[in-house]
Amino acid sequence: MAEVRAEMVANVWQVVASQGDSVADGDALVILESMKMEIPVLAEAAGTVTKLAVAEGDVVQEGDLIAVIE
Amino acid sequence: MPSSSDSGRPADGPAGWSGWAAPVLPVGLRASVRATVTDADTAAAMGSGDVPVLATPRLLALAEAAAVAAVGPSLPAAFTSVGTSAALEHRRASLPGAEIDVEAELTEVDGQRLVFSFIARAADTEEDVVIGAGTVERVVVDRARFLARAAQNPAVDRG
Repeated sequence: MAEVRAEMVANVWQVVASQGDSVADGDALVILESMKMEIPVLAEAAGTVTKLAVAEGDVVQEGDLIAVIE
Repeated sequence: MPSSSDSGRPADGPAGWSGWAAPVLPVGLRASVRATVTDADTAAAMGSGDVPVLATPRLLALAEAAAVAAVGPSLPAAFTSVGTSAALEHRRASLPGAEIDVEAELTEVDGQRLVFSFIARAADTEEDVVIGAGTVERVVVDRARFLARAAQNPAVDRG
């Protein structure tokens, strides 16, 4: 199981993956927006997205859970 | 798959993301802008004060313009830079008619994030007269995507 967490304070701009999706290492899960930049959050392992903890428009803090991949 | 072609975009980003990897620029890029202070450039005219000398926000605009010029020629056509942060010392007043030269240099690159140092000098004297100095930060963005995103954001930032 791999937990994907936010590395910075940001707005959740787009949620790309859905719960239940199979993803490959390096696939984008969500796109964050911070300091005018789009910052894709990538899967760091292949697997199934078993949890997506954010929705578009959410504000995430550093360390917040974004997704779980198993 | 799109590739770098007439759009000037580099290779595709990660799967599931329709964005594009921003080009990484080398430190040391630099450019200068020269301007003559006019009545429209004064604090009184711009509303940032009430005396008729070069406005601090006008000086910052010149610094940003020099920073934009420093990296613009090195960016593919689809990309531009946008300002995110600034620190400025305005050390000396300039009257209308004064000529000033503002030079910016790219001193730090962290992916999309660019840090510039700048220095503003009097251009109408032989002496080395520093009018102001500081740093500005900008980020490289895909121009069309950035504008589309701005149009969808609420007027008041949620962050």
